[in-house]
Amino acid sequence: MTATDSAPADPIIRIDGLRVRRGREEVLRDISLQVARGGCHCLVGPNGAGKSTLLAAILGFLPFGGRIRLFWRGNQRLGYVPQRAAVDTSVPLTALEFLALQRIRRPVFLGISRRVRRHMLELLESGGLATLADTPIAGLSGGELQRLLFLNAVDPRPELLLLDEPTSGLDVAAREAFEQLLAGLLREHELTVFMVSHDPAQVQRLADRVTLLDRAIVADGAPGEVLGEVRAGYALLPPRGRG
Amino acid sequence: MQGFYDWFAAAARAGMLPASFEYAFVIRGILAVLLVAPLLGGLSHLVVARRLAFFSSALGHAALTGLTLGLLMGEPINSAYGGIVGFCLLTAVAMVFVRRHSSLPPDTLIGVFLSLTLGLGICLLVAVTKRFNIHQIESVMFGSLLTVTDRDLLLLLLASLGIGAVLIRHYNELLLDSTVPTLGRLAGNRAVFLEYLFVVLLTMAIVVSLKIIGALLVESLVVVPAAAARNLSWSVRSYLLISILVALTACLLGLFLSTQWLVPTGGAIVLSIAALFFVTMAVGALRAR
Repeated sequence: MTATDSAPADPIIRIDGLRVRRGREEVLRDISLQVARGGCHCLVGPNGAGKSTLLAAILGFLPFGGRIRLFWRGNQRLGYVPQRAAVDTSVPLTALEFLALQRIRRPVFLGISRRVRRHMLELLESGGLATLADTPIAGLSGGELQRLLFLNAVDPRPELLLLDEPTSGLDVAAREAFEQLLAGLLREHELTVFMVSHDPAQVQRLADRVTLLDRAIVADGAPGEVLGEVRAGYALLPPRGRG
Repeated sequence: MQGFYDWFAAAARAGMLPASFEYAFVIRGILAVLLVAPLLGGLSHLVVARRLAFFSSALGHAALTGLTLGLLMGEPINSAYGGIVGFCLLTAVAMVFVRRHSSLPPDTLIGVFLSLTLGLGICLLVAVTKRFNIHQIESVMFGSLLTVTDRDLLLLLLASLGIGAVLIRHYNELLLDSTVPTLGRLAGNRAVFLEYLFVVLLTMAIVVSLKIIGALLVESLVVVPAAAARNLSWSVRSYLLISILVALTACLLGLFLSTQWLVPTGGAIVLSIAALFFVTMAVGALRAR
């Protein structure tokens, strides 16, 4: 059960021999992986396994050895939902201003045109956040902030969407709301989702394919098989360094 | 400009304006704070968002060293801009460079630079005081209206326009880079460029404001307005506008106090802005109830 055993015929991401070092430490070694076009591919593994690092390498945020290729067919747009902890909420940006930052050239303090405002309100409406348009992001709950990050990433619709632990730390209701949004998007649009998740139940619900990572690829295949591997010996949550 | 000052003096003598408007240095002071307050107050929310408060303090101290270097190289005491700009820019760029290439916490590294520049400045100050009156040096350390010239005002105006234009061009990128850096990078923003760009703009703003607020107190005007505004703001627009309003109120109040009680302008402005911060904190706490 390796990446090459059952490589998808039509990959959107193809990674060959990826290596990432942080100082003297090898964070990822010899990663070869293909992500099939369409559907949801989940990346699981213990803390410190290099999952977020793998996403960062795909996004081009850090130097790496080996090769990562993206095979575009549509609008070539890459959406990214970072971890909530990566958002500094100390600036009193409203939800609308946050969305506007990436959509208008005019400084947000000069105001948002009626046309752009209407579009962003529709976007917020689609995620159930319309009433929070003028709420500072610091005033949003974890689930609301996560949905805002998600809406920001899927407008305009990306061809490839990368998500980094989007439901980590959320309560059941917030997690379900988020999963509904994602499932709806997957149903209605042709896009590929590559998602880091710590939640085996969520992976079971959403994933078409799963990769278990622990600095190298441990298993890659159908959700049932890989999650079986997880249950057999790999706990997703405990930190590295187990015996 | 003399005709402009004469008009105010005549109006003051006729009782149409307060008596202090008879003096050209007071008019220059008011013009200076009308330029300094929007410049530093406007920058302050980005300084706070980008966690550069301590960095700004180090730059203020570097300005003192830059002044002594400029004087030792033969610049006039009233406009040692070459030494101040050169040394502050060098220090700012070096701090960012070292911070980007070190795993030590940023405040630790800035502390190292602050010690270095201050130590160097104090050593050079001994040499400088042999040639210049210490009171002239004090005016740069603590700010003084008496030393502001028409040339300083022109420089302040041009710097404000230039810095404002660049900030407007890159504002959304800077804010996104401060809030969610990864999304900024994905959107094609050059994080390294933005980091250096902002510290250069901040350095220039601090340097041209030194004569009003003083090298040792300039940090207050690039940090406290945003801190006060944060207590009351509900959006980025309100954050910026309240920051500028707080800076403007504090500067005018400080100017008034300094001319009334003959205390250093910088000190009076800092006391005013600190008072405003506590007022906004109290108002914010009352509103939150």
